[in-house]
Amino acid sequence: MLLILDILTTAAILFVVAIGLLAIFGVLKIINFAHGAWLTIGAYCAVVTAKLGLNPWAALPLAFLVGAALGGLAERFIIRPLYRRPLDAILATWGLGIVVGQLITLGFGRDVQLTPNLLPGTVAVLGVDYSAYRLVALGIALVIGALFALTIERTRLGLSARAVIMNATLARSLGIDTTRVRLVVFMIGAGLAALAGVLLTPLTSVDPNMGVSWLIGAFMLVMVADASFLALAAACLVFGAAQVLISTFVSPILGSIAVAVLAALVLRVSPKGFSRA
Amino acid sequence: MSKSHLIGTVAALALAASAAQAADSKPIVIGVPVGLSGANSVVAPSVVQSAELAVEEINAAGGVLGRKLVLEVADDASGAAGAQKAFDGLIYQKKVDVLISMETSAARNAGLPAVTKGRVPYIYTSFYEGRSCNKNLFVDAWVPEQQVPPVVDAFAKEKGAKTYFLIGSDYAFGRGMLGFARSYIEKTGGKVIGEEYLPMDGSDWTAIISKLKDSKPDALITSTAGGAPNVTLTKQLRGAGVSLPFANLALDEGTAKSMGADAKDVYLSASYVTGIDSPQNKTFLAAMEKKFGSGMRTPNDLSVPEYEAIYLYKAAVEKAGGTETAKVLEALPSVSVTGPRGTISMSKQHHAPLTMYLGQIQGDGAVKVVGTFKNVDPGAQCPKL
Repeated sequence: MLLILDILTTAAILFVVAIGLLAIFGVLKIINFAHGAWLTIGAYCAVVTAKLGLNPWAALPLAFLVGAALGGLAERFIIRPLYRRPLDAILATWGLGIVVGQLITLGFGRDVQLTPNLLPGTVAVLGVDYSAYRLVALGIALVIGALFALTIERTRLGLSARAVIMNATLARSLGIDTTRVRLVVFMIGAGLAALAGVLLTPLTSVDPNMGVSWLIGAFMLVMVADASFLALAAACLVFGAAQVLISTFVSPILGSIAVAVLAALVLRVSPKGFSRA
Repeated sequence: MSKSHLIGTVAALALAASAAQAADSKPIVIGVPVGLSGANSVVAPSVVQSAELAVEEINAAGGVLGRKLVLEVADDASGAAGAQKAFDGLIYQKKVDVLISMETSAARNAGLPAVTKGRVPYIYTSFYEGRSCNKNLFVDAWVPEQQVPPVVDAFAKEKGAKTYFLIGSDYAFGRGMLGFARSYIEKTGGKVIGEEYLPMDGSDWTAIISKLKDSKPDALITSTAGGAPNVTLTKQLRGAGVSLPFANLALDEGTAKSMGADAKDVYLSASYVTGIDSPQNKTFLAAMEKKFGSGMRTPNDLSVPEYEAIYLYKAAVEKAGGTETAKVLEALPSVSVTGPRGTISMSKQHHAPLTMYLGQIQGDGAVKVVGTFKNVDPGAQCPKL
């Protein structure tokens, strides 16, 4: 039972962390290597919320707004000229991530920051005491996933985004403002990354480099998912399960590289990853 | 002996003589290679501050044998490559008389060849995994033999703990500490029922925590890398509702404060805590506060040994009658100073018997001393020296 909960909640956390990166990769066709920095920005929104004496949960909307606003600026001034040069975009976003990390260090110092626990304690689930927060994180992941699916399938923006994904030139010739669609999608992706940063605060240390360790995992998952939202969910579940099972039965050191190794193997066997399934 | 050889020898002798004459008025230069950037950057400023205080106090009282002390601080970037540069620069360009510093083990090991070749005394002021031996190297901080037994003894005696679970970061210090903890637990009749590691940059302890809960030990001992991994593990342990007697070998007062409620009730073991009730400690803390005011970094188990080591070096130079390396090395094991941590003497195979404090974190992040262990022996660290 413990094992199943561990797998589900690990997958949920991976999903929450990776979804913002996937949104941007799907529509813009660039990998946002500043994703880790946006996770960090979100976590520092939780720090600021705590300093202002607000309810810790208020950090969630705040982080989404701050992340989206900063994401909008980054898209307008740094990413936009680089859509035709995806390799340069990797370099630019990587550099942007370093700059953001240093700015956070300048503003808040290198030290580990204190954030209030969103939800302390445990609850009994089918005979085991389990971290209440991890269960809530599972719920939040499902909500984010559902909202994301609704946006893609049922809204005008989703329709435009899908059109841009399929054929940007054709979409533009049909009167879709692709520049605007890209801007909005980048803002949503950046906002989701910052939101994930807040959701990570009860689980990890909050410091200027906290995003880096999550970036690689998220990147691998998005590569395997190949811009498909359902494939990302499947990849999180499979890789999360592999990580937990290997950590539990073999070695946590091997478990921590499970996502990276499995992603490489999957892409070797099937270059489209999970998205065909 | 060939002619050129002879000339060389005479020239060297003449140089040495002129150096000795000039030495009396020249200031004594103390090299401090320390991790101003990289992993140690959080703690390094406090180390530099306590060195500055010691130098200021000694100079105000007339210096050492009438000579002033001067600090040369160099950044070792907390690692091996940076340390080689820092040590070379200090020894060959700045011509320091001694090196006194707290560093990572990687930086210390990388610097030692330069120390041997350059023939300078080196007082290492960081606690570490033990057994680093070099005739020029002295250590005034703790090794596992001193830090771990107070924890295990207290858990066995007061909590009746028999079974232990060990969790650490996968690196030399983490494995060294827990390896020693395992052997000490087994020697004293306890049992280790789990020992798990995660890489230093790992952030997901889920599976390890589930194993811990599954195996139901009496007590938990952790030794992660400092800073982020320590905070991450503690948060996840608390999130999972782990409330065992829990000792954290990598925890210091500053980190405990930043962890807030999550650190409550955790035990730590150290040779220095700010709450030591001695006149020397109170004077030291007051002097720190006066010199640095609101910019003061809280003194800690890595910065106070630096302060005392400078006084130990002063005592050795005075005993040796000068800064000549061979004589200072001969004097170092026999001198002692009474500092904030008590009376310190590096008399045991270049290591120091230390009084260790078992502390428990209170709700407000302060450390309450719950046990004092007098003059804990460092054991046989360097039997060949």
